[in-house]
Amino acid sequence: MRVVIAEDNVLLSTGLELLLGRAGFQIAAVAEDAAGFLTAVREHRPDVTIVDVRLPPSFRDEGIRAALQARREHPGLPVLVLSQYVEQQYAAELLSTTGGGVGYLLKDRVSRVDGFVDALRRVAAGGTAMDAEVIAQLVQRAGDPIAALTPREREVLALMAQGHDNNAIATQLVITDNAVHKHIGNIFAKLGLAVTDSGHRRVLAVLAYLNAGGQMSGR
Amino acid sequence: MTSSRRWGRWAWVRRCGVYLLGSLLSGVATVLALPLLCIPGPSRLWADWHRYRAGRLLGAPFASRPALRATGRRARADSATVRTSRALLWLPANALAGVVFGLPALLCTGNIVVALIATPLWWAFRPEDRPRLFIDVPVTGWATALTLGPLQILLLTGLAYVGFAPIARAHARICLVVLSHSTNDELAERVAVLTRTRADVLDAHGAELRRIERDLHDGTQARLVAIAMRLAVARQAFSDNPRDEQFVEGLLREAHEGTEEAMTELREVIRSVYPPILADRGLDGALTAVATGCGVPTRLDIGDLERVPPAVEAVVYFTVAEALTNVTRHSQATAAGVRVSRTADRLSVVITDNGTGGADDRRGTGIAGIRRRVLALDGTVEVDSPAGGPTAITVELPCGW
Repeated sequence: MRVVIAEDNVLLSTGLELLLGRAGFQIAAVAEDAAGFLTAVREHRPDVTIVDVRLPPSFRDEGIRAALQARREHPGLPVLVLSQYVEQQYAAELLSTTGGGVGYLLKDRVSRVDGFVDALRRVAAGGTAMDAEVIAQLVQRAGDPIAALTPREREVLALMAQGHDNNAIATQLVITDNAVHKHIGNIFAKLGLAVTDSGHRRVLAVLAYLNAGGQMSGR
Repeated sequence: MTSSRRWGRWAWVRRCGVYLLGSLLSGVATVLALPLLCIPGPSRLWADWHRYRAGRLLGAPFASRPALRATGRRARADSATVRTSRALLWLPANALAGVVFGLPALLCTGNIVVALIATPLWWAFRPEDRPRLFIDVPVTGWATALTLGPLQILLLTGLAYVGFAPIARAHARICLVVLSHSTNDELAERVAVLTRTRADVLDAHGAELRRIERDLHDGTQARLVAIAMRLAVARQAFSDNPRDEQFVEGLLREAHEGTEEAMTELREVIRSVYPPILADRGLDGALTAVATGCGVPTRLDIGDLERVPPAVEAVVYFTVAEALTNVTRHSQATAAGVRVSRTADRLSVVITDNGTGGADDRRGTGIAGIRRRVLALDGTVEVDSPAGGPTAITVELPCGW
């Protein structure tokens, strides 16, 4: 699987190369700024991309803008955005582009190699990988409707919103698939959401619900 | 001289006359009401009124405050002391100047009135009460009345025409000299205000640096030391006995977890120093992110702010973020509003909600935190939150540097 990375910090980019190389990824190119990244994507047509939010020259939100532009130029291009901090505004902007996998993770997560590689594969396959902190921000914001959920249901909701499938949720919470299925049924019923299939669309439905601050009615 | 200009001149003379008679009256009133006017409050009002009319007469701009507003409590007290001492000095000056400058105007006007009455109506008075013209000449027949009367009117009117304006201007100038801040006073006051606010800002800055130092020292640095020690022990254990995997694995796991905790703490420190979203998107974008992220629907209204110093931006951001967190947590509001606007040298932020009110410094640390940050920049915080609501928090920050 070929990867294009946009990361100006050499410490981090060499770290990523090392880690991804060991996990069986092929690094097609490492760009140091937004323009270089867009050129590399045009040239290499990677299977997945990793973009740092802050890039030269102004070290503001160039990475987000580059990621959005790359997805406009290449619809369906999977993008995983890394950042030193998470901001749900950025998550909302990334999710607003349709088609293709989207990820938004704290840089800290890279150190959990398995989790990070899993997230990258999910994004490459067209899935979603949202940082637990983004989801926590969204859940906190959604307020009342979420309060009706049991603590276990809230855990399941958070993992589901992060982009995990039933299997992964079951493994992480050490419960059976069946139990996960039941919890998800309850969550959708309590939030007034129509139950969709277990794939990416379900994640998007949950994220859209949280993004709207829990104001959205069921569909 | 055209007739309209002549009329203009006459209107001006009349205005000066009224001013001088008013000054005479106020001079007398000052003497009569002296005990009352020695109280700082009334004396300052009395002085302000005189300065206002003197300024209007001279066409000078009326500025009741020094160019730089003193916003600190101590600085305001200083400014008040200067104003009070000048207002008290004005009391004798006013009494003296009012009489000296006002009396000629009164005599002049009075004698014109006397002549106006005496000339046609001298006969209506009893012989022993006959009006006198030119101070001591009694009018006893039409001959004197028709010669001396118009002469007196003419002479005194001419005198008024020539004299009232310069006399009134002289009085007004004296008034402004006594009551206005001299350039020196103004500069001294500015320096006093700036010295104080600068000291406060430096104090706050120092406290902030110490907090950051402590956070990094006790948190991140300590964690890194702990991680390094675990890695060192793990290396040693590995070289001593490569098969003791469980022990080495345990150390590595702890070291790994330590790095994650260090990263989380470091992120918090960074966020508290300068919010990253503010660096990324500026005040406008950062506030938009806060408002859209708020659990309560929030209307955001940002005026034309021009250039705002980063320190002020950071305080505005913290204020809005903290206030909206309070709205979400405590107010039970269904709508909130944030308005940021700028006048020449002040940035004002108003956060409102339609919740249950009762917000104060004691409940939670939110408002106390806002106050601490705002005061450090010499700003003001007003919390209007009656029980039952609604709540409005108004923050004003100087940003004219």
